[in-house]
Amino acid sequence: MTAVRVAARGEDERHVGYRLVITLLAYALPVVFILLPLILFLIQSFYYVDHGDIVRELTLRNYERFFTGRAFLPVFIKTCWLCLGVAAITVLFGYPVAYLLASLEGRRKYVMMVIFVIPLMMSYIIKIYAIRAILGGNGFLNRILLFFGIIDQPLTFLIFNLQAVLLTLSVILLPFAMLPIFIALERIPRSLIDASFDLGASSFQTFRDVIWPLSLQGTIVGATFTFVLALGDFITPQMVGGTSGFTFGRIIYSQFGFAFNWPFGAALSVILLAVVLVAIVGTGLLARTRHQL
Amino acid sequence: MIRLSTTALAILGLIAGFVLLVLYGPLLVAIFFSFFKFENNAVQWDSFSFDAYRSLIHDEGIIDAVLNTLLVGGVAVCLALVLGTALAFYYNSSRSRLREVLQLLIFLPFLMPPIITGLSLLVFFRETDIPRSLVTVVIGHTVFVLALAYRIILARLQTLRSSLVEASLDLGASRWQTFRYVLAPSLMSALGASAILAFALSFDETLITLLVTGTKSTLPMRLWAMMRMGFTPDINALVTIILAGSTGLSLLAIRFVGVTSRR
Repeated sequence: MTAVRVAARGEDERHVGYRLVITLLAYALPVVFILLPLILFLIQSFYYVDHGDIVRELTLRNYERFFTGRAFLPVFIKTCWLCLGVAAITVLFGYPVAYLLASLEGRRKYVMMVIFVIPLMMSYIIKIYAIRAILGGNGFLNRILLFFGIIDQPLTFLIFNLQAVLLTLSVILLPFAMLPIFIALERIPRSLIDASFDLGASSFQTFRDVIWPLSLQGTIVGATFTFVLALGDFITPQMVGGTSGFTFGRIIYSQFGFAFNWPFGAALSVILLAVVLVAIVGTGLLARTRHQL
Repeated sequence: MIRLSTTALAILGLIAGFVLLVLYGPLLVAIFFSFFKFENNAVQWDSFSFDAYRSLIHDEGIIDAVLNTLLVGGVAVCLALVLGTALAFYYNSSRSRLREVLQLLIFLPFLMPPIITGLSLLVFFRETDIPRSLVTVVIGHTVFVLALAYRIILARLQTLRSSLVEASLDLGASRWQTFRYVLAPSLMSALGASAILAFALSFDETLITLLVTGTKSTLPMRLWAMMRMGFTPDINALVTIILAGSTGLSLLAIRFVGVTSRR
């Protein structure tokens, strides 16, 4: 056995050059196609546009424009609130469903899980389209309400505003919030819950003092998921937001489209990325302190 | 196991039912109107037909888009599987601290909002004078689904006991033989699961694609363009076909994942 080990080590030493090549290869593609684009993107945000041409000089004017311009900061804050709303709604509905699923037994649990997760695999554009077909002035919901005589004019406030964006994003992202909560609930050792009941706690007390604290981490992860995904979306607001549902993602996208100011768009994205990083790192820290408790 | 009282069960059941309705309602509406017509403010119950499906076959734009999507998905999945396997092996065998940085780098496109991944690639392609085409879409999709493939394969790799590999080498197998006869068979289900999930992600990828694509469009692009012009029964028919396809694909993926986790 030792002889084999020694032989293997000798072979390893002969393969130092080989290992170096492997290491370089392993890093090459992720560095070129993930890190390099991000760095170029960051640099781009310090360029500026003059008469339709990108000037490759480093300046802070894009960031200055974001903070001093009248239009950008309010939309940014509004978008952050919107995405917090999406996170809150998805957790509010995702938690009870995950809780119900976790309480099911055996095969039924996983069948139900699959039923709730399948919509996640279904086309994103199609879901937006279908929701628009339901909420629209000529849509399904209005027709049903008209048919039953509950209203006599089609409701117009259902679509093409910020509430419609909130609603649509929540529907699309709900399974993303549910999954981490379900996993967290599944991980709670059965013995802890049994112990709580054996010691005379009611099911509400068991939930409040045992299950909820232990599933909080997964809940925060779920909320972060949906917050981050909602923050970067620009198609949903464009499809159901109308003119009043203008979000930060749409502003960024327009800089790369008809406004054609890439450096400014890049700067706006860097600001968006900063918020995302704060959210992700914050979640990580929260999760870690929870672990230590 | 979480226990529920009858009242709690009833309340949670109601909420779950509502969520199911909200999740599936939009999809069912689309499926319904691919078969029935809506005229004079009422559903025409006698209008059941496959007309919408028939006219789809003659729409070259859609067929093109479907083919592009399948091509992009297929190539991106193959690339992601090869790279994901190689990187998972590297991470598993490396003792360098930098490997954590490498792992973070692989996860980044999955952690960041797609708009950031898409825009950074867009800037990268312009700075390096790579013209936007299906090739750039493939790169975008590969970068995006790599994290998933890598994660699943690595998880599988870490559950394999190193004694298996040592035994194989001790018994005189070459490194290649060890890979071929010991590691590869136990990785198969993980590869299958990652392939299906990665393909499903790529098939539906919209935000990155929109930013890095050239003149050719994939199916989500095509759908988006069609929808901006207005609704037609054709869209509903297409939606139904895609839904059937993606449901089948997800059931297949779950079977694979089920097999993986049971082992």
